[in-house]
Amino acid sequence: MSTRFWESDWFGPFVITLAAIIVVGTLNPSFLSPFNIQVLLLAISVNALIAFSQMIIIAIGQMNLSVGAIGGLAAISFAGMMQVWGMPWPVAAGVALGIGLLAGLANGVLVAFTGISAFVITLASLSIYKGVNLGITEAQPFYEIPDIVKSLGNDTFIHPLPWLVIPCVLAAIGLWYLLNRLPLGRSILAVGGNEHASELSGISVRLVVIVAHAISGGLAALAGIMLVGRLQLGQPTIGDDWLILSFAAPVIGGAILSGGHVSVGGTLLGVIIVAIFTQVLVLFNIDPFLVQVVLGGLILWAVGVNRWREVRAQRRAGQVQI
Amino acid sequence: MSDTISKTVFHADNITKTFPGVVALDEARITLLEGSIHALLGENGAGKSTLIKVITGVHQPDSGIMTLNGQVFEPHSTRDAIAKGVGVVHQERNLIPRFSIAENIFLEKLSAHPMRPINYRQLFRDARKWLDLLGIDADPSLPVSRLSVAKTQLVEIAKALSLNSKILLLDEPTASLTSHETDTLFAILRRLKSDGVSLMFVSHKLEEVQEICDQVTVLRDGRNACESRPLAGLDRQAVVRLMIGRNEQIPDWSARDRSGEETVLELKNVATSLGHKGIDLSLHKGEIAGLYGLVGAGRSELAKAILGKYAITDGSVLLHGKKVEIKSVADAVGKYRIGYVSEDRKSEGLILLHSVLENVGVPVWRRLANLFAPLTNRAIREHTEPYIRKLEVRTPSLDQNMGNLSGGNQQKVSVAKWLAAEVQILIIDEPSVGIDIKTKAYLHELIRELSDQGTAILLITSDMPEMIALADRIIVMNDYQVRGEISNTRVYDTMSQGIMNLIQGEDMSAEEAAPAAS
Repeated sequence: MSTRFWESDWFGPFVITLAAIIVVGTLNPSFLSPFNIQVLLLAISVNALIAFSQMIIIAIGQMNLSVGAIGGLAAISFAGMMQVWGMPWPVAAGVALGIGLLAGLANGVLVAFTGISAFVITLASLSIYKGVNLGITEAQPFYEIPDIVKSLGNDTFIHPLPWLVIPCVLAAIGLWYLLNRLPLGRSILAVGGNEHASELSGISVRLVVIVAHAISGGLAALAGIMLVGRLQLGQPTIGDDWLILSFAAPVIGGAILSGGHVSVGGTLLGVIIVAIFTQVLVLFNIDPFLVQVVLGGLILWAVGVNRWREVRAQRRAGQVQI
Repeated sequence: MSDTISKTVFHADNITKTFPGVVALDEARITLLEGSIHALLGENGAGKSTLIKVITGVHQPDSGIMTLNGQVFEPHSTRDAIAKGVGVVHQERNLIPRFSIAENIFLEKLSAHPMRPINYRQLFRDARKWLDLLGIDADPSLPVSRLSVAKTQLVEIAKALSLNSKILLLDEPTASLTSHETDTLFAILRRLKSDGVSLMFVSHKLEEVQEICDQVTVLRDGRNACESRPLAGLDRQAVVRLMIGRNEQIPDWSARDRSGEETVLELKNVATSLGHKGIDLSLHKGEIAGLYGLVGAGRSELAKAILGKYAITDGSVLLHGKKVEIKSVADAVGKYRIGYVSEDRKSEGLILLHSVLENVGVPVWRRLANLFAPLTNRAIREHTEPYIRKLEVRTPSLDQNMGNLSGGNQQKVSVAKWLAAEVQILIIDEPSVGIDIKTKAYLHELIRELSDQGTAILLITSDMPEMIALADRIIVMNDYQVRGEISNTRVYDTMSQGIMNLIQGEDMSAEEAAPAAS
């Protein structure tokens, strides 16, 4: 291929991840203990889906402020259906996933047909979905979660790999295949890269926008469902703190916020970097509130690197003559 | 191919298109032949871009018929036009920057089957054929963002051809190419032509048109100045005359000579970062100096350099005899009192979403506000209303949104804005683009009156009668240089001939041109 591996999006984050693992592992060997790896993987699995949910919208050059609200709504629906209606957990999970897809679909339809910016639409839907959540739960958690769900949300299938890694890996592979091999996924990136040109090439921009938002809703819902298992609780506050992370990880992974370019591998590494940094603060007894500061710093750093690469690429293109 | 008469591929007959207040196309006609490169020429506002938009499905004509390969062609959208065989290479790039060359070429075909996995190896192989056909030496897997402008353009041509385009429309294809790249492009276009492709070439560069085209259609005021005639036998001067040589009533004003007045603005041997060289130019108090040239001569760019938007790299700018360095447009407006009425009023001249009052007020905010007296609407209103009245801007109130006003009234506001700012030097760029004849005459009177009151005006226009009606002195530019100047005798024929000679005079060396300008 034409891009050399050290120029690809995931290379920078990959080096940082590797360096962080080596440094932290040497300074504090308990970092690499199987138990700690399990804890890290649990956090990474859920956060990756949150990041993917935003990533697919960044791909079309928009943003989805309602990822957290959709995730929260799916989470309490999942827990509520099991507790109140005694639904078997796979059915409840399926319905909750459907709710997420529908919520995303509604976002997409509104954005595609009104021409109002996704920022405003999803700001409004964030409020609506969160309001429905609070209306159903009256801010009280659902406590009666089946043991099997609790187990799936925390235990490992092969030590130290938790069950939650499976949906995360499947989603990552599926998204990679979609965005790199299927024309539908390529259309998503094309619309983000140049909407006008895409339209002139026969791509239905509306359809692409709707599909991307539906996928985003589905992924957010999946993250919410997984979090119920992990917390062993149907918390109404699930999703409240997702927003910054959802943007940070794709951006660290090389995504361009104006659209047209995202990296599944890069985003995954972005999630891992955030998870490691968060853990480091805990391991070394640093005030965990600093996490937010570190996250902000990481975003600025990543955006700076992306910008620098862009300028350099432009300069190089300018020199190449026919 | 034998010597048979070329087949007509595309024909547009009596196309008329009106916009509120303006007839953009008035029974325009054009015929494209197989295996031919057809030049579409015309100055700004001649209707060229409207005709392109009609052919590419952006606009639907009010009346008239188009046929493509003998069948009636009525595109209802750009998509539709492309699907029916009109390939377009626009001035702005229409590719997905991060996608590979191959994927860009075949995006259309790929998106037809959204769930069929892409076989990249096959895709790259298929793209190779088109790249070889056009002689593009590039790896099909390379993202187009890595390509030079010239190659990107060729990829767009490949894309259009792969869609089985029956006609290929190239809008200013050489605008950002070097001369070497242009040669390569032309070699390719010639080959396409000999393969029987019908090409339409839109350009402001007449040398290129002469070099590559065999047919020509010239539009002027929305009408055909000539229709689909062979270019052979038309020399450059004849083409220029077709483009700009029109007779129009010129107001019966007396010729003025203001060269005795104080020199307000003077450029000495100025060069800019945009490529202007050795520009000498002077502007006197109460004078209207015209800056004439074909589109692309570098006139608006020079105006913006004077305003401090682009860097002046050599020579000096003098205001009232004193050497100055205008560092920014804010400086030019606030400190030196230079105003600029942009040719592009929608995107550069006005804030269409804001009210009339807010638009007129922008240049005076800084002056009216100070630490002790906050800026009030009343202060702005008191200061600006007389000017809006004077220009007879037709608006229900000053709070009306700019976007709801007609083109002519918008233009009046753009002038009023600078009157209110009490500028001493006003640069007016294409004052009558998109406004009706009555408002145009009114604006002309106003510009004349302004200069009578002492404002020095630098007038940029591609409209020859307008130039001869207004300017006291006409400075002719071509290719980012001043070719010379003539004082306006107000006799249309001799003036237009003189101006054309100056534009033609490319063999004239810089040494000869320079003294004429000083």
